[in-house]
Amino acid sequence: MKPGSLLKIALAAAMLTLAVPALSFAAYPEKPVNMIIAFTAGGSSDVQARIMQKYWDKYGSQQWTFVYKPGAGGAIGFGEISMARPDGYTIGGINVPHMIIQPLVQNAQFSIDDFSYICQVVNDPQTVAVRKDSPFQKVADVFAYAKANPGKLKLGLVGPNTGHHLMFLDVKSKMDFPVTEVFYKGAADQNVALLGGEIDVMFGNLNDVMRSVEEMRMLAMASEKRNDFLPNVPTLREEGFNIVSDIRRGFVAPKGLSKEILGYLRGVFGKIAADPDYIADMKRAGQPTEYMDGEAFAAYVKAQNEIIKAALSRVGSKK
Amino acid sequence: MSEFILPAIGHLLEPLNIFLMIAGLTGGIIIGALPGLTATMGVALLVPVTFALDTTSGLIMLGAVYVGAIYGGANSACLICTPGTPSSVATTFDGWPMCQKGEADKALITALLCSSFGGIVGTVFLLFLAAPLARFALRFGGPESFWLCLFGLSTIAVMSSDNMVKGLISGAIGMLVATIGLDPHAAAPRFTFGYYPLIQGVEVIPAMIGLFSFSQVLYLIGSYKPYIASYTPMPKSLGRVARELFATCKILLLRSSIIGTLVGMLPGAGGEIASIISYNESKRWDKEPELYGKGIIKGVAASESANNAVIGGALIPMLTLGIPGSAVAAVILGALLAKGIQPGFKVFTVTGDLAYTFIMSQFAVNLLMIPVGLVLIKIMVRLLSIRLTFVAIAIVMLSIIGSYAIRNSILDVWIVIAFGFVGYFCNLVKLDTGAMALGIILGPMIEENFGKCVSLSKAVDGSILQVFLNSNIAVVLIFCTLLSLVTPFLLEWKRKRARGETGGEANDA
Repeated sequence: MKPGSLLKIALAAAMLTLAVPALSFAAYPEKPVNMIIAFTAGGSSDVQARIMQKYWDKYGSQQWTFVYKPGAGGAIGFGEISMARPDGYTIGGINVPHMIIQPLVQNAQFSIDDFSYICQVVNDPQTVAVRKDSPFQKVADVFAYAKANPGKLKLGLVGPNTGHHLMFLDVKSKMDFPVTEVFYKGAADQNVALLGGEIDVMFGNLNDVMRSVEEMRMLAMASEKRNDFLPNVPTLREEGFNIVSDIRRGFVAPKGLSKEILGYLRGVFGKIAADPDYIADMKRAGQPTEYMDGEAFAAYVKAQNEIIKAALSRVGSKK
Repeated sequence: MSEFILPAIGHLLEPLNIFLMIAGLTGGIIIGALPGLTATMGVALLVPVTFALDTTSGLIMLGAVYVGAIYGGANSACLICTPGTPSSVATTFDGWPMCQKGEADKALITALLCSSFGGIVGTVFLLFLAAPLARFALRFGGPESFWLCLFGLSTIAVMSSDNMVKGLISGAIGMLVATIGLDPHAAAPRFTFGYYPLIQGVEVIPAMIGLFSFSQVLYLIGSYKPYIASYTPMPKSLGRVARELFATCKILLLRSSIIGTLVGMLPGAGGEIASIISYNESKRWDKEPELYGKGIIKGVAASESANNAVIGGALIPMLTLGIPGSAVAAVILGALLAKGIQPGFKVFTVTGDLAYTFIMSQFAVNLLMIPVGLVLIKIMVRLLSIRLTFVAIAIVMLSIIGSYAIRNSILDVWIVIAFGFVGYFCNLVKLDTGAMALGIILGPMIEENFGKCVSLSKAVDGSILQVFLNSNIAVVLIFCTLLSLVTPFLLEWKRKRARGETGGEANDA
């Protein structure tokens, strides 16, 4: 082989390697993007992602293919996202604190460092809810009654090892709260138990209690500030209890995504989150929106990881 | 209410809505008939389509798919002994023997007419008694559900009256299988043997597909038969079946439909439990219980009317309280919420137009199902004229694809194959796979609700008995369970005495 042709080949190869990333960036996304949902079709996470999809179709060029990987409280689906090829064609929805708790307590096949964070879209605070006919008028009444009658107050939680459970641990670490706690498989069962009188009070997500809002009274919300959905419900801090607890929904891709693709995804999601029609649709579906960009969301998850690790170590649930 | 009914009927006559009902039914029946594609999946797949329709039409379509899919499961239950949806497990008990006797069309038409009847009864309850029934459903908490499940389990005693020990062993194996996965209370993994996907447990549907359909394929292949069953079409079968049902099954149908509606209202308990309970109640109260399981239309009627009545029941708490009574109702609730419809008792006044149009559409769908179903039966029954080798391959393929599609997990494919062999060998040694299925379905619910009772007992000084006795419904259910356990012995005693008496009369003569 002549040295000249070798040079030509080397040049061509160099041009190709330069061209490939540029091309792939210019073209992304050139085929449908898989959206992994770690819960069943029709659940809250699915409804949220479907609303998002409507606007993705407006700003993005390719469709989403929904892939449902439910099981083990989301851990199966989250693991699936973390193990996917980081080419931008597999992204998925995640929930905090689920994705933080699972690697800590059940040997889940991922860790919080296995993801590229796109953004947070929902902040669903916990509420303290009672039946409409309950004698409890203020959240302080609930805590006082629990203290005065150890074991008599029946508290419903979804769990164990969930956001509800963490809030319960948080409350217990801050005050004397000797109650009978009952775990339910899901929010629907928990709502039935409250309305049917099996439990006296429950910690429930805003999105879930809104489904039976006619029958319940929300005493307080475990959020930083009041929520537009229920503007008359005070925060726990206003009532003198320093407790903030919520469930966040966001979107992630596997770790190792190229800067360009991650930038593209973050850009489109940011545009969707700012669309007034999207915000109106979310409100109608009872999903409390709160946008946080990818960097901030990643930092939030890291910070929460330390807090939750400490809380679980205290009660000995951590592996 | 009456001011909404007439406009509602008007909405139903719109050509688009008629089209959606027929298309929804047809699609639903086909989804239901394919093993592995369940009603929940069918409805969930169509939710995005409703975003393009107005709320009323979208809801009508989802309702039609729901009804079609729950009925559709009966077709594969009768023709290939594979419950197309978990609710039609009990339909296989008599539908499959009927098919083997060459009465496939009779079984299928019975299933169709009874599904339609059950659906209409459920809708009547939804229309007239939604509010009081929703209040009643709320009273089913931990202790009540625990005893309801135990009552369901006690029917093993009736189901396997020929050999109760084998029935109990199968039931126990089923419940043992149900403990695989995360413990619902302490969240500790059990029996996963270090294989992470097992943490989610053994899903009911793949286990059913394995136990009933994959094992049937193994059996059929071993039988060297050229076709599944011989089949000669019966002339005027629709009229005959209708007359026979009217003559012999009036009370049975009403009872099964009421059981279906009541069970449907309870969150967590769906068509699979309703159909098994009503099958066993029909058997218990029948004069000739020994004929059940040998291919009589009563067995098909009991199961199919109950599982379609579940739909009306499941919609009651969904519309009035925002609490879905079944997995499909949960998906429909999601679609409603996405449209900004707030469930609650106000749904019948504020959005009365929508609510009553939906309810009236359920009547229309159940009636339309008869002609649509008849056409599809004509097509599906042709399956019996295809050579077994092809049918067997198709069943295996559908079983595997269907089980994988449930949660996109390869674990479920292994479950189908493993339970296929379990089912095959159980049949060889005459262990009752129906009882095993019951254990797998009810096991997790029993465990979950028992755990709730234990937690609740902390509030009444640690006595779980106190938790049970504090609930009137639980006390009634405890009594029913005990009664259910002694019936086989009572029946046996009665039979012996009857034999003694006739023997005595013969001597006198």
